[in-house]
Formats: sequence, structure tokens, C-alpha cells
Amino acid sequence: MKIDTTRFGTIEIDNNKIINFVRGILGFPKDKRYALLPHREDSPFFWLQSLDSPELAFIVINPSLIVSDYSFEVSDDIEKSLELESPEQAESLVIVTIRRNEINKDKKIEMTANLLGPIVINVEKRLACQVVLDPNKYPVRYEFN
Amino acid sequence: MLIFTRKAGQKIRIGDDIEIAILEVKKGNIKIGINAPKGLSIHREEVYQKILEENRLAAQSQFNETLDFDDLDIEKSN
Repeated sequence: MKIDTTRFGTIEIDNNKIINFVRGILGFPKDKRYALLPHREDSPFFWLQSLDSPELAFIVINPSLIVSDYSFEVSDDIEKSLELESPEQAESLVIVTIRRNEINKDKKIEMTANLLGPIVINVEKRLACQVVLDPNKYPVRYEFN
Repeated sequence: MLIFTRKAGQKIRIGDDIEIAILEVKKGNIKIGINAPKGLSIHREEVYQKILEENRLAAQSQFNETLDFDDLDIEKSN
């Protein structure tokens, strides 16, 4: 299918590449269909582009590339709604926020990853949702650049 | 907003399948038990808001910072 996007123009997405969110990403309840687009060749970053809103896209990264011991448990409830039957089906991504650093001039861009609300994807069934973890264990802004 | 006064051990029912039990009241803390249908997400409000705000920021900041971001790719680990 052809999809209009603000950043990437009109793109062609195979129907079997669509990721269906069983619940929208928090704050964006109406956006349920996304596609994962590589940022650039050899880049560790991907764009999670909404197929429902052209302007909505999140930069995401595999958390194992930025933090070595990141792991979390998925509740039975989420396992069920994502139809997860084995750990191999599950993949996690974290959303990256980029903000300008006004104080430290040597480091003008600050990149943080949201380890508190990762996105879990059943890669086989292409079902996903954002899960909410324990704020005492996982930061919402993990700085990594 | 509907307001109830309940004691420890008492419950509130919402619809047919949501049950909220007041389990314990101690030193300004109230322990609540919730029985609700599977698939219904239940979160602490402040955690929910924290993630929601960060998501909104993430969706926005990327849009403005795209150019700088391109120069900043971290190396892909092997």
C-alpha cells in the first residue's frame, strides 16, 4: 500500500510489513498501524512511522545497542494480547528523544532513550504495544550520546 | 466525578466486570486491589503521564532536529 508521510514523502509498504499496535503508543491512541523504516544504511536507528498520521514518526533503537543489561518481564496480559508464544518472537525497541542542550556547548544535542516505556513487538505476527515498566527500575530518559 | 467513602475491606464495582477493593488503609497510604478484564491497561497515573509526555516530546523533537541528528549516528555495535 502507498502511504503519505511528512518526512519521507509517499512510501510503498508491503501489507505484511505493517506493525499493528494492539493499543496506541501512549498519547497517540488513534494511531494503530506503523512501519519500521531504517534511518540510513548502517544506522542503528529506525523510524517508527505511523501509517495513520503522515506527520507522526518516532526514532527508535534496539535497546541492546545502548545499554548492556536491559531486560524486563512482560505480563501475561501483554503476552496474550501480542499472541506471544515463545521469547524468540518478541523484539523490543525503545523510543529516542532528542533535545538541544542549552547549557553544555560541547554537547549541543542530548539524546535519551525511554527505557520506562519500551515497545514490544511480536515479529512473527507483527503485533506491538508500548509497555509500562516500574519507574523505580527504569528511567524515562536514559542519556546515551 | 463520582465520590465514594469506603472502608478497608469494602469494594466498588464498575460495570459488570471491574472490581476495586480497598485492601488496607495505613499512615496515609491506601492499598487498592483491582480486578478487571484482560487487555484493559491499568497504570499509576504519574507513570502513565511521564511516558505520555516523553512520547509527545519524542514525536516533536525529532522533527526539528533531523539535520543535526544525521551527523550524530552512534556506531552500530558488532
